[in-house]
Amino acid sequence: MQPTRALELGTSVVMASVDAQNVPACCRVIALASADEVATVTVYMPIATSHAVMRNLATTKRVAITATNPTDHCSIQLKGVTMDARLAREDEAAFVRARRDALVDTLALVGIPRRVTQNVAFWPAFAVTVRVDEMFHQTPGPNAGSRLR
Amino acid sequence: MSASVRLVDLARCFQGIIPSIIATSDAGGVPNVAYLSQVYNVDDRHVALSRQFFNKTSRNLDENPVASVELYDPLSMQAYRLRLTFLRSEKSGPLFDAMKMRIDAIASHTGMEGIFRLIAADVFEVQSIEMVDGFLIDAPIETPQASLDGHRTEVRGLQWVSDRINRATDLESLLDVVLQALDEYFHFAHTSVLLMDEARDRLVTMASRGYGESGIGAEVPVGQGLIGTVARDRRMLRVTSLEADLRYGRAIRREAASGSSAVPLEAEIPLPGLCDAQSVLAIPLAVGDRLIGVIAAEDRDPLCFGEWHEAYLEIVANQIALVMDRMIDRCDKAADDAAPVQAPQPAPPAPAPARTRVAARRPLTLTYYAHDEAVFAGTEYLIRNIPAKILWKIVGETARSGRTEFSNRELRVDASLGLPPVKDNLESRLILLRKRLQEKCPELQIVPLARGRFALRTDATLELVER
Repeated sequence: MQPTRALELGTSVVMASVDAQNVPACCRVIALASADEVATVTVYMPIATSHAVMRNLATTKRVAITATNPTDHCSIQLKGVTMDARLAREDEAAFVRARRDALVDTLALVGIPRRVTQNVAFWPAFAVTVRVDEMFHQTPGPNAGSRLR
Repeated sequence: MSASVRLVDLARCFQGIIPSIIATSDAGGVPNVAYLSQVYNVDDRHVALSRQFFNKTSRNLDENPVASVELYDPLSMQAYRLRLTFLRSEKSGPLFDAMKMRIDAIASHTGMEGIFRLIAADVFEVQSIEMVDGFLIDAPIETPQASLDGHRTEVRGLQWVSDRINRATDLESLLDVVLQALDEYFHFAHTSVLLMDEARDRLVTMASRGYGESGIGAEVPVGQGLIGTVARDRRMLRVTSLEADLRYGRAIRREAASGSSAVPLEAEIPLPGLCDAQSVLAIPLAVGDRLIGVIAAEDRDPLCFGEWHEAYLEIVANQIALVMDRMIDRCDKAADDAAPVQAPQPAPPAPAPARTRVAARRPLTLTYYAHDEAVFAGTEYLIRNIPAKILWKIVGETARSGRTEFSNRELRVDASLGLPPVKDNLESRLILLRKRLQEKCPELQIVPLARGRFALRTDATLELVER
């Protein structure tokens, strides 16, 4: 999977962080953006469901982000360090909504009904900018875990 | 553990319809997050995850045995988070076997046997369960749990099914009654019964319900695909996210095929029946160690088959298997008791002549391909193996002597047919032949007479060709 495929419309994105005792937490990400070929990414997570992940970022800053195409399981994992965490701005809402709508469309293709996925909260959101240090092939199979960058 | 949410409340989440996510961390505090194809509920305090590859998640758990898993209810999308402590990896035992069977079935079905396989069942203790507040915009609409309506209690269901089964007078009607009962009582609209051909280690489709094409005669090698795996392991298999599982298996297949190891892969076996099935339930029919066959049901609804069906149908299947076994034995015994239709004549050593005509009205060419042991009617494949040899024997006899009535006994003593000396399933082979003729060649019919006897009826001019 090419790194930029993580940014494609319809990818399903999840994120994990750890606390000071190395206990992990995870949540779903609604949108993923990058302006520099995935050297840095900004992830948008619903405020309502990302408390534990955000709490960890205040102390450990390390994150893992996995982006998957639900139709073929092609996956990539990004690992890096949090550079900035803030509330998403109103002018970012349209972008987040568009990514959410694209994911709803893709999940409908694999049999998960829109009435179900459209009810998932996506706004207001946190915006977390991450410096990507490592990138791994994550598609299930014998090559999963091999380094891409 | 939270008092408000129990593992038993998350039954739908464990069906794997929406992939779960797992977060782990290495000893240095670097997190890892991945999708899980399925989380297994072991008991009220433990879950298990399948380990198919030695991946980063596995290495992290060895270093730092804690994990966070997020599960989703497929009907409401409500999320739940589990905090887990990794306890052990099981590489044998009932849990491992149960998880392995499902993975083997998908692997076999996608031509990935031996490559996509269960390495271990990783068992975790559940420390806490949390329903993720605010995950949904509106509160989920409560869906009623599957339950039997009215007076159809479980015991009543058993009584109802067993009554239907016991009324069957022969194996053919028993097969139809079983599928009818599954449809009318359990609302399983797409079902088939496959019987075991021990001599060839294959299952043969003997009856089906709810399909445009009946698929009678379709074969499944034991150990291959979903149904073949059920036959090999003699264990029920319920797949509730078939399309997702196959997509996952195909992703691994694609990866394996593109890898440097270049592992030779088997061809993917087409799933008989619905092309868009979302759930499959396959139930072995066994008496002791002997496999009688498999009942397969499928549906477009991924939640069609519940945990309840799995437990309950195992009891029903045991009863069906016993009756079926008894019926097969009875058919065989009746056949042995039946007198031959005519005094056996010394059989001419030569096979049917290359071209023989039987006086009748419309032309019908039957061709026997000796190498493939297959009979074609015109250009259409009709049947193969022992039923093909039986057909060829009786049409040849009709052509030679004009005799149209036959007994099971004379087939049984004819070594050229290759029937096994014990448990020859002759009755089921005749049912298969009769049904294939009804579907593919209605101008030629096998009509049961008394027990153990049957007649060949045709209003066509038969032309027999052997190649």
